[in-house]
Amino acid sequence: MTLQSILPPERALFDVPGGSKKRVLEFFSTFIAQNTPSLDSQEVFSRLIGRERLGSTGIGHGVAIPHARNAHCKAPLAGFLKLAEPVDFDAVDGEPVDLVFVLLVPEEADDTHLALLAQVAGIMNDAETRQRLRKSDSQRQLYDTLIEAIERHAEAGPPASP
Amino acid sequence: MDSINSLFLLSGLLLALSILASRLSSLVGLPLLLIFLGLGMLAGEEGVLGIQFDDYGLAFLIGHLALAMILLDGGLRTRLKTFRVGFKPALSLATLGVFITSLVVGGIAMWVFELSLVQGLLVGAIVGSTDAAAVFSMLSGRGVNLNERVGATLEIESGTNDPMAIFLTLMLVEVLVGEIGGPVDTLLFLIKQFGLGLVIGIGIGWLSARLLRWVDLAPGLYSLLALALGFLVFGLTAFLGGSGFLAIYLAGLMIGNQPGRHLNFILPVHDGLAWLSQIGLFLVLGLLVTPSEMLHYALPALGVALALIFVARPLAVLLAIKPFFKFRWREVGFISWVGLRGAVPIVLAIFPVIGGVENASLYFNVAFAVVLMSLVIQGGSLSYMARWMKVEVPLGVTPNRRGPLGILPENDYEMFVYRVENQDLDEVPIRLLRFPSGAVISALFRQHAMLHPKGSTLLKQGDVLCVIGRSEDLPVLNRLFNGEARLKRQQAFFGTFTLDGDALMQDVAAAYGLTLSPGEEGMTLGEFVSLRVGGHPVVGDDVGWHGIHWVVSEMAGNKITKVGLRLYQ
Repeated sequence: MTLQSILPPERALFDVPGGSKKRVLEFFSTFIAQNTPSLDSQEVFSRLIGRERLGSTGIGHGVAIPHARNAHCKAPLAGFLKLAEPVDFDAVDGEPVDLVFVLLVPEEADDTHLALLAQVAGIMNDAETRQRLRKSDSQRQLYDTLIEAIERHAEAGPPASP
Repeated sequence: MDSINSLFLLSGLLLALSILASRLSSLVGLPLLLIFLGLGMLAGEEGVLGIQFDDYGLAFLIGHLALAMILLDGGLRTRLKTFRVGFKPALSLATLGVFITSLVVGGIAMWVFELSLVQGLLVGAIVGSTDAAAVFSMLSGRGVNLNERVGATLEIESGTNDPMAIFLTLMLVEVLVGEIGGPVDTLLFLIKQFGLGLVIGIGIGWLSARLLRWVDLAPGLYSLLALALGFLVFGLTAFLGGSGFLAIYLAGLMIGNQPGRHLNFILPVHDGLAWLSQIGLFLVLGLLVTPSEMLHYALPALGVALALIFVARPLAVLLAIKPFFKFRWREVGFISWVGLRGAVPIVLAIFPVIGGVENASLYFNVAFAVVLMSLVIQGGSLSYMARWMKVEVPLGVTPNRRGPLGILPENDYEMFVYRVENQDLDEVPIRLLRFPSGAVISALFRQHAMLHPKGSTLLKQGDVLCVIGRSEDLPVLNRLFNGEARLKRQQAFFGTFTLDGDALMQDVAAAYGLTLSPGEEGMTLGEFVSLRVGGHPVVGDDVGWHGIHWVVSEMAGNKITKVGLRLYQ
């Protein structure tokens, strides 16, 4: 399972209106329900917000990785949102978030879930990648930057486990 | 007059050299105390300066003074809240541990030097106590931050184990010179040593703390008053037959844990005094030894040292800790390795000389050689061992400098100085910083010039900011200024995601598809991890469960408030 394969170009969203953490997750839920008919926007939203209640998925440096399992999700899927204005995400470093990488996985794919999460975290941990994503000024450029970062990360191999 | 002048000249020269040589320690990685000892030996009778010094009485006095000041400072710096995890194991190490160490080393010394049982045990007792002051100056100098369980245990152990070693040494010396009464007397002696030390140290220490907080003095006088009260406690306790060393440590503990602005005046001075004591003590001890005489004992002493490091200490730690407390194996391993011997054994080795024990020079030289060996072997490898044994917890950013403003004595504002290292703060206007509400940026320095920070001022990397705020604001500020490299190290350790300790296990399990056993659904995540860790959890503890490392990343008292999720990759 590669990240590229679960992140088609139309799911890299550019200039997404921010507002609040809740609004951003709502926006994504509505979008993904339209994009993937088997999903229900209300369910996606409540799962994502339920995960946030356990502790924010804002991992610092303006990045958040909301993630959830979903019964109606047939295969893992990813979406990326670059917000127009950073929003307060209650992140570990307290900084507002403008780069949001969302992951949804089927209920049974628990190991894949963790592996994908680790991979996304690895990619978003790179300062240069974040900077390039922030400097992208079109949807196309955003997507290309993202895919390039994913490939670069995959080539470098996962970092040695500590 | 000449002798006074030469005293000034020599002490000034040696002190200055020692202090400058401390820079060498951080560059080369040689334990500092070793450098001081070496300088003393170089200045001594067989070194370059050829100073004749064999006044054991004076060295004994200096030893007591210096140890008292070092212990006072150690007490001042020990936070009472670390007693939560460290007190009981440390107490076990300080009593049972010292006893076992002395016994094992004594047995080996008896065999190596062909001594009688009591003589052998005396060697064991002399080298029985650790000197973690040495450990801590080394570890903090290297930027190694131990987890609280290990750090607190070592710290409290070093403050409390000297009385036991002193007691054993005194007792054995008295047996050897034939002044000992029956076993009842011995037991009474032990009870008096510990009991009086405990009662007077805590009692008068507490009163002293109140006095220091209450009295209004010129800033420079607080530290002197603290020192005077410490000496008073030491003297009174020892006069009545208690352990002055234990008492002064406890007095320091009492004073250091009474918050107030007086501490800001006391701590820096006592830091300096502790340094002076360390340097002075080791210089004097270096002067006192006759290297050629020590060489005579070098080989057998090496055997004793190796036995202490590789057999006696590990065995003592194992028996004193593992059956009673939930320590990980690697933590037991590290504590075993950090049985660093310092000044105490050498000072204790003067007891037989003063007491007039036959063949006293043996004890002194063996103790000296053992301490040297311990400093080289254990001291030299400390930070490497801390990494290897994984007892480190990565440290986030803290202010480069902080100091009280001294305007509101009861709840004072402080100035914190931060450097902008965080790439994400580059080009960010100040008004967008998520600042704690009570704190302000009072000045911004860029390229050696001061700017007036406004809301629209854009931050640049390398800017130095003076922030005025209260100590409660620190966590938020530290988070804000945490640089890329540090955050990465912290994430590699604590994991990318952080969950609240209050989160319910059933919700956590649902989010990640984990199976719980009955009885676990009702728990919070904090309780669950606490249970799995066992005993008192500390920041950095981790539990492997369902392919995830659950790492304790924040605690409030005994409660886990944040848990990191480190994913296997």
